[in-house]
Amino acid sequence: MQKSFKYTYVVIATVLGLAIAACPQQGMAQRFSHGGGGGGFSRPAPAARPAAAAPRQEARPAPARPAPEARPAPEARPAPEARPTINGGGRNVGNHDFNRTNVNAHANVNVRANINVRDNVNVYHTGAYRGIHPYNYHPYRPYYWGPHWHPLGFFLASLAADATWFNFNNQRYYYDDGCYYLPSNGGYSVVPPPVGAVVPSLPDGYETTMVGNDTYYYFGGAFYVSTDQGYQVVVAPPGAVITELPTGAVDQQVNGEDILVYNNTYYQPITQDGQDAYEVVPGPGQ
Amino acid sequence: MNKKFFSLLLFGFIAIAQLQAQKAQAVKVRRIDTVAVAILDKMSAMIGDLGSCSVTVKSNYDVTSKELGLIKHSDEEHLYLHGPDKLLLKSEGDRGSRDLYFDGKTLSYYSLDRNQYGQIEAPASLVEMIDTVSRRYGIEFPAADFLYPTFVDDILADSKELVYLGLTTIDGKECYHIAGMGTDKSFQFWVSDDAFTLPMKMVIVYTTKPMNPQYEAVLSDWQVNPTLPDAMFDFSIPLKAKKVKLVPLTAKN
Repeated sequence: MQKSFKYTYVVIATVLGLAIAACPQQGMAQRFSHGGGGGGFSRPAPAARPAAAAPRQEARPAPARPAPEARPAPEARPAPEARPTINGGGRNVGNHDFNRTNVNAHANVNVRANINVRDNVNVYHTGAYRGIHPYNYHPYRPYYWGPHWHPLGFFLASLAADATWFNFNNQRYYYDDGCYYLPSNGGYSVVPPPVGAVVPSLPDGYETTMVGNDTYYYFGGAFYVSTDQGYQVVVAPPGAVITELPTGAVDQQVNGEDILVYNNTYYQPITQDGQDAYEVVPGPGQ
Repeated sequence: MNKKFFSLLLFGFIAIAQLQAQKAQAVKVRRIDTVAVAILDKMSAMIGDLGSCSVTVKSNYDVTSKELGLIKHSDEEHLYLHGPDKLLLKSEGDRGSRDLYFDGKTLSYYSLDRNQYGQIEAPASLVEMIDTVSRRYGIEFPAADFLYPTFVDDILADSKELVYLGLTTIDGKECYHIAGMGTDKSFQFWVSDDAFTLPMKMVIVYTTKPMNPQYEAVLSDWQVNPTLPDAMFDFSIPLKAKKVKLVPLTAKN
């Protein structure tokens, strides 16, 4: 009788085990780390198989971030009535903290070592160099930012009296009306803006462009960000849209499309709000 | 003897120089492509605005076997979501035929193969339910990552690299191709280059696990804001179905 009871117990335990195995199993941790301490993609391995014991996300940390539903709901929109959305509608668009360390205890996010995989990412698809906006060819018309602006390589025997100078990378640059000069052959030649240099002001005629939540200033083929000291020259940010390109841009055929290259930056012809424009796109190998 | 000694010395110098060069190469700056971020932002914003949707997810995933290496499995799942608190998942594949119903209070699991069902109380919001159920019971939902309002932030927090590779075609649809490298995985997303900017495909490679298993999911048949009756999210106990207890992960372990 006792033996029979034991046998019954074993059978029940086996059935229960099978039932558990039939349930959606623990995944092989194939998901990203979301704030809730789990989340992410589901692709559970069959638990009944030995391999299902592959490291589950046992390391899933406690939810350090607020639960998703705590995010501001979209009721703020002028919709006549709040329409429930599948995820509460709250999200963070274009306002990312790029230096946020991983909330799930992935330490040291910003200082990576041994990033060798990236070096092999050279396989660009057809249509590479393309940005968010669709390619839309329009003729390139070199632009001049007024009589005081000069293209790269332009030679001046003397500078205007109100030109300023600054030392950068052990070189004395002269700056006037959005142009950068270096002494050359007894005069001054226009050179590309040195990335990192700061100038006190930009001439009239600059345009602003947003990339994500960041504002960039554009003038004479150079991009700037605003700092406490003035406007700092930066590398052209992919995604930036500008309306004019200086003289000196070179048309380059990429997969049958005309991409303009100016000062090592790739510009894709696009149309924005019915106007001809250019979008900065990643160049080859970038 | 001297020749040998100098040869060894030279070899040593070369080896040290190579090590130094590798070390210098290793210290690189993290690169986040703003175009890739903008595309993912747009996709996330679109999903956040959906009141309801349905999508088919065809997935392949590797299971590591010591004897046989990586064994590939596949599932096809149909996911129906209705904000803020309703879900239906119908799944077929190597894990058998199963349905998951969530009506805002109760998550019901039903195995068609075994005619068994189990039920658990779950938080009301979809994302919280998915998160909680995943964590406590190991029940996973396809494409759940994309549902998180913090999707882009989470990707950025874990990415060493995030780049936009260009346009390519998935199932005849032009897509943005984005690739990234995280701490323990590399990943790729394909996002449709159309008015809806929805995820079309994803691949994850687990770079720190033995044999680097992969997960791949292709999302198709997206229906945006379809009319989904509440009744389809209600679970009715099938005839003669046996009730089983869904066991939390800690209890399993």
